[in-house]
Amino acid sequence: MPFVEDPAHLSIARLKSDLLAHNVALPPAASKKEVYVELHLKNIDQKNAAEFSSDDEEETREAARESSGFEHSRDKDPEVTQMPDPSDLTDEYLREALLKHGVKAGPIVASTRTLYENKLRKLLLHSNGDDELYSDSEEEQEKRDDIESVLEEQKPEEAKKIKGENDKTFSITQMVQEMESRGSLSDCTVKELNSSRVGEHCSRSYRFAMNDLDKSRSTDQSLYHTPKDVHPPRGMKLPQESGKPILKDLFPDTKPTTTGIYVTPRRPIKGAAQRPVQYSYSYPDTLVSPVTLERREVERRLVSIHIQILFFFFVACILFYIYVNVQDSTVLALLDSFSHCFDKEGWAFLQPGTEGTQAVCKQD
Amino acid sequence: MSTTSQKHRDFVGEPMGDKPVIALSGIGETLGKKLEEQGFDKAFVVLGQFLLLKKDTEMFTDWLKDATGANSRQAGSCAQCLKEWCDAFL
Repeated sequence: MPFVEDPAHLSIARLKSDLLAHNVALPPAASKKEVYVELHLKNIDQKNAAEFSSDDEEETREAARESSGFEHSRDKDPEVTQMPDPSDLTDEYLREALLKHGVKAGPIVASTRTLYENKLRKLLLHSNGDDELYSDSEEEQEKRDDIESVLEEQKPEEAKKIKGENDKTFSITQMVQEMESRGSLSDCTVKELNSSRVGEHCSRSYRFAMNDLDKSRSTDQSLYHTPKDVHPPRGMKLPQESGKPILKDLFPDTKPTTTGIYVTPRRPIKGAAQRPVQYSYSYPDTLVSPVTLERREVERRLVSIHIQILFFFFVACILFYIYVNVQDSTVLALLDSFSHCFDKEGWAFLQPGTEGTQAVCKQD
Repeated sequence: MSTTSQKHRDFVGEPMGDKPVIALSGIGETLGKKLEEQGFDKAFVVLGQFLLLKKDTEMFTDWLKDATGANSRQAGSCAQCLKEWCDAFL
């Protein structure tokens, strides 16, 4: 340790790790910080003072403390004191210890040694203090230190729960939490926000801030999480003028958020980019009767069916009229003349016409 | 569109050769100076450290934070940059 820090300024996690590093028995789990500070002062500061003395003295002192620490804490934390300080281990032992915890270490050289030692310490800490409140690793703490510092001042419990969240939570969530905590809303609401995963539409409306706080804290991911590849589950976006009862009616299972921001993903706009409106499949075929289908098909042709039917009857009438009038010679002559005209073009199937027919042909 | 910076893309796009440490994504003047003080004067030396840690980005970020006082974002960016370079060229 190059410099001595005032233990009161360290966090409990740091104090614990220091105590473990110096092979001191940890106090019971729910101890206050003062207890840790006391132990730290008692043991570690002693050791720091001893650093300036000779190596032999230090070793003996350490051995004495180790043994006393071992006996003293055997009934409390046997697992901790059986493992010596990682910095005292040789490279081989360090590698073995890491392997025991499931970590395959690379080469332990000068530059990597401290890293592996710290890793082992962290693993020891985790294996002993998982059920405690401040069990998060230092890494996670550093990741969110700028936001955490604000939150820890105000709501230490919720701040730890933020760290426990999935890494996928956007930083906007934490900014919102910051704003939320500053906005002096109740504790419950902060917890609710931590447990919900708010998407990018996070900061829209603050209308429903004071909604039911008695509701459960379960996450409502379908409502708030809006990733691009998931079809949005809900319908319209509510107008801001609508009051609280309307929201309750429309979305009865809405979980109240801490900031009062409710996210209702909008139905995708038809006709917007990459969502072209497709009319061709909008009418299902099963609802239309086959007759209607036939009529439609026919209608697509040039002539409608009514006209076709009329034309058919008209032609039938003409033929009937001709048939009826076959007995009359004039009609017969007329018919013959028609056939004679056709004969001219090479159609020879009727009797050759007389002068009368020729006259008729000429008339034509 | 990826969220990598231009520096990242420049580094990952070609073999690093003799590039200085500040060519690494996330490493600016300050951090570069601190690395050089410790002997990491070229990007390939930092690569060496990364490889020693078996290309574990987490451990590398820890090391970088410890060695230079980098914050999580910078260290993470550097680790990611090196990892991608390794995937491409190693």
